[in-house]
Amino acid sequence: MSGVLNVTDLKTGYGKQEIVHGISITAQPGHITCVFGPNGSGKSTVIKGIAGLLPPWAGKITLGDADLTGLPVHEMVRKGIVMMPQGGGVFPRFSVMENLRMGGYSLKDTREVDDRIETLIADYPNLQRRRNVAAGSLSGGEQMMVAIARALVPNPAFVMLDEPSAGLSPALVNETMDRVLALRERGVGVIMIEQNIREALPVADSVYIFAGGKNKFSGTRDDIRSDEHLMSIYMGGTVSE
Amino acid sequence: MDLFLQTIINGVLIGGILISLTIGFQLTFGVLHVIDFAVGGWVMLGGYAAYWLVELAGIDPFISIFLVFALFALIGGAIGPLIYHVRTSRYARPDLMALAFTFGLFLLMRGGALWLWSYNSRNVESVFSGEFLTLGPVTIPLLRLSAFLMAIVICLGVFVLLYRTRFGMAVRAVAQNRDHAGLMGVNVKRVSAYVYGLYTGITASAGVLIATIYSVNPSVGIRYTLFAFFVAVLAGLGSVGGVLIAGLALGLMESIVSTYIGTRYSLLVVFGVLFLVLLVAPKGVLGRGI
Repeated sequence: MSGVLNVTDLKTGYGKQEIVHGISITAQPGHITCVFGPNGSGKSTVIKGIAGLLPPWAGKITLGDADLTGLPVHEMVRKGIVMMPQGGGVFPRFSVMENLRMGGYSLKDTREVDDRIETLIADYPNLQRRRNVAAGSLSGGEQMMVAIARALVPNPAFVMLDEPSAGLSPALVNETMDRVLALRERGVGVIMIEQNIREALPVADSVYIFAGGKNKFSGTRDDIRSDEHLMSIYMGGTVSE
Repeated sequence: MDLFLQTIINGVLIGGILISLTIGFQLTFGVLHVIDFAVGGWVMLGGYAAYWLVELAGIDPFISIFLVFALFALIGGAIGPLIYHVRTSRYARPDLMALAFTFGLFLLMRGGALWLWSYNSRNVESVFSGEFLTLGPVTIPLLRLSAFLMAIVICLGVFVLLYRTRFGMAVRAVAQNRDHAGLMGVNVKRVSAYVYGLYTGITASAGVLIATIYSVNPSVGIRYTLFAFFVAVLAGLGSVGGVLIAGLALGLMESIVSTYIGTRYSLLVVFGVLFLVLLVAPKGVLGRGI
């Protein structure tokens, strides 16, 4: 597929307020890259910046050989980068099927989109049954499944997930993490922001920790486990909320 | 009884026109979150366009309406990105800025029309003018019936576009969440501009129908801005389906008040009802978006 997603020294923010003061991430295709950090550390802002929802104020975003810096949000999907916002971001007044079709909006061939949806939805029996139900009437967990399935419709190189476990029951968190692992099996690169480190760490191939809009740590899962100081800050419950 | 029947039919026929006047306005609110004060201005300009097309080229308004639609859709499509820019600017209260912007646009239209065409009312002649259809006890002016049918065609077109096309799906997605639609690959700015163009095209077309039934002068705008506000609020701001019910309700109300109480009271009653609706059901009769 496509190459590595490289974010170099990205700066961005809201209005005139800079939130992200030069963050760098390297995400490998077919790997799960987890981003941790306390509230206000700029995690969500970074992926909004990568997705094009916020314009980059400085820095560079590349996917393989392609320079994606400064592309508007609707172009990013076409380049293979999909972002799932917090809560899933399903369209509440659309049915499950309409939501999935929206996922394929960037593809011109609607028959191909429908074929792809049928293949995908076979893995989601709950959605299969409720395909004509308005997404807004689904539970939080079901909406998350719609959102994850929808992210796969355009056949992305990378999917960025903003706290997929937020507000879900423990059983649903497990299911969500299984779905994230299934993304990796498909060869999709994942960038996942999480507060729930205990659940997310076991699925992570590499880990970033941000604080105050800057890189604080990067390494593999084992690196962070062997770092007692980081473990005490981020796993000890003082900051992990 | 005959008078009552006649009143109801008149009300329904006016209601159809009011629906076509409001449906684009409502769509614009739903998608761009802009309350377009200039809605009556587009009605007025559409009316003048029909007038001049009759005067200069002899084209019947029921034919020129298509030209007017195309012309104003282009104008609106060109202004659309500007409105989008104002509405999504990073400065404080872009919603109020957009309202002020369209209010300014409205004043410009009214002033421009006064300057160009003076204060006189102009009548727009059609082949249907002065013709009647008699059905038992009721008499239906052919002009109003045709205008009603044309309005229905316009509304059907909007519904087909919204619910049966890829573009319509993008429009409905943007109406639900602009950012999320963008993440799906929708070019939100372009869709918004197209919606604004669609709105100005439809509203100017409604203006053609209105000018043909009544007449047009530079000051009619404010009346139709108020009517559009009324229908939109009664329907629930942003609800395109609710416009059908609310437009008919306003048409019937106007017709009944004019027949049984007196034309001069119609605006008073209309706004009395609007006040009550806001008091009782501030979300409107259907209370949901597109």
